[in-house]
Formats: sequence, structure tokens, C-alpha cells
Amino acid sequence: MTSPEQIWVIIPAYNEGPVIEQVVSKVIATGFPHVLVIDDGSKDDTARQARNAGARVLSHPINRGAGAAAQTGLAYARRRGWPYVVQIDADGQHHPEDIHRLVAAQVKTDADIVLGSRFLSPSPGIPPTRIFYNRISNILTNTFCKRSYSDTQTGFRMLNHRAIRNLRLRLDGFGYCSEMIVQAEEKGLIIAEAPIQVTYTDYSLNKGQDLLMGITTAIDLLWKLLFYPSKMK
Amino acid sequence: MKFEVYQIIVPLASLGFVFNLFRRFLKSKASWQEAVLGATFWLSVGVFALFPDTISKAIADFFGIKSNINAIIFFCLGIIFFFQYKLFFMLKKNQMATTELARKITLQQAEKEDLQS
Repeated sequence: MTSPEQIWVIIPAYNEGPVIEQVVSKVIATGFPHVLVIDDGSKDDTARQARNAGARVLSHPINRGAGAAAQTGLAYARRRGWPYVVQIDADGQHHPEDIHRLVAAQVKTDADIVLGSRFLSPSPGIPPTRIFYNRISNILTNTFCKRSYSDTQTGFRMLNHRAIRNLRLRLDGFGYCSEMIVQAEEKGLIIAEAPIQVTYTDYSLNKGQDLLMGITTAIDLLWKLLFYPSKMK
Repeated sequence: MKFEVYQIIVPLASLGFVFNLFRRFLKSKASWQEAVLGATFWLSVGVFALFPDTISKAIADFFGIKSNINAIIFFCLGIIFFFQYKLFFMLKKNQMATTELARKITLQQAEKEDLQS
């Protein structure tokens, strides 16, 4: 059985000063003492707040994007030989207690990656625009996948040592969510899904992807998939 | 055959660019693909400036376009698209290099902190 001591919770964060302390504290209070915050070149006091709450903090010297921060977290996990990591969003939309659901799904399926899906047992209050963006992203990502996934853009994921060792993400932006799934399939890793709950606040809605960002992300991903398929491996 | 001023300046400038590319290739500052592609482009520009009517008519005939002007616009759009592609590619390459550098600095700093603690 996977114990919370074996799990590091990685939180990529950019200008999350107002909420990061609360997010880190909640994760620790849920029983997961190891938290790594990747401060992606924030201009506010994100790093200090996260440290105050008890997290280990790595700081990018400049802002490089959510994907770049996630990959830095994985690179550090590889160096430290961590057996499991769980990645969650820094804006407070995820419920840390759902980590137990991902752990249970990982143990049951022996999956290398468990995706926390917002749409397997949908929380009330997911804005229709979010549902629409995610549907489009799912169609786009699933087109390049062998299997079909209900939430390809989720920021709530659990990875075991095989996934940590093998994945090399190259997309700096939010496209990394799809890239991780496509690359994991290419490398023969097993992917499972577990339902999670989300709470959208005005703050988290402002921090998420808008339509323009979504289009840029899609172009980035398509560019890599169509012109540089070898770089997705 | 009467030459306009641009028909002298443009081919000379093109030869200058080709010479510069050749020099960069010899100094290993440009790959052979880059040198060949660049030289082909600049030589085409030079030749096009020397024989604008003949070439635009040939392009128009080749693509089945009736007017020479349309052929030139069509040809220019192709070149703009090509450069757009090249710029996008270079931008992506630079972005990846910047991210790699940022990551290296971050991980080195983390390693130092880990050793100190």
C-alpha cells in the first residue's frame, strides 16, 4: 500500500500569493507532508508564502509556463528518486482529500499515471465555458491517443516512478496536459482515471485558460504532433 | 535590353548575401542546409530582378494564372509564408532553449540548497 510519506505533492504556481499558503496548508493537513511548489518566476510573494506554509520551493528565474514548471518538478523528482508524485493546481480549485482517490485507483490498476477527472462524477458549478473548452480539448487530444479519456486537461494527476523516469515534457504551456498523455501512451505507460471534485471560485476562473490561451495551446500541440512527432516520444 | 537601377542593385545585393552565407558556412556558423536554402533564395531574388517580365510570365503560365501581377502576388505570399514558418520555428527553438536554461539554473540552485540543509 502506498503511504502518504512516499508521495510528494507538486504544485506549479505563478503569481498565486493570495492562495498558495492556504493550498499548501490544506494538502499538509490532509496527511501529505511532502509538498514541492515550483514557483514559475512569480512577481509576487508566492515563494515566501509557500515556504511559510511548509513547502519545499524551487523558483524559476523567469516565467516559463505551466508545462515548464511541471517538467521542472518531474526533473527534480527524478533526481531525488521519489517513487510517487501527485500534481495539483495552485489556484485552490482541487480538493487535496481527492489524492486518496487517485492513490486507491493507482493501487487497484497498477497504473503509471492516474488522471483526476472532473467529468466522471461532475461537481456542480463547473462553468459551461469550461465544459465546452474541455470537450474541444478532449476531442483534439483523444484523436492522437489509442484510448479515450474523459478529462485530458486536468491538472490533478498522480505519477509513479516509471512515469517520472520516462516522461520528458517539452511544451511550456498548458499543452503539456495533452502531451503527457500522448507521450505516456507512446512509451507504453498505463493510464487510469479517478473521479475528483473541483470548486471554481472567481479567483480560479480568472487564473485558468481563456479562449485565446486555449487556441494557442491547441496550435502548440498540433505543431508538435504534426511536424515533430518524434519529440512527443 | 535596357536595365533599370534596381536591376543592378538587387542582383548585387543578392550576391553579397550569398557571399556572406558562404562565409558563415565556412566558419561553421551556418549548416549546409541553411547555406543551400539561403543561397537558392537570394539567387532567385537576383535572377527575378534581372528578368522580372519573363519570370512572372513563366510563373503565371505554370500556375495557370492570367495576369503577371497576380503571379507576383501569389509568389510573394508563398515567400512570406515560408519566412513565417521559419520565424515560428526559430521562436519555438529559442523558447525551448530558454526554458532549458531556466530549469538548469533552478535545479542547480535546488541542489545547492539540498547540500546546505
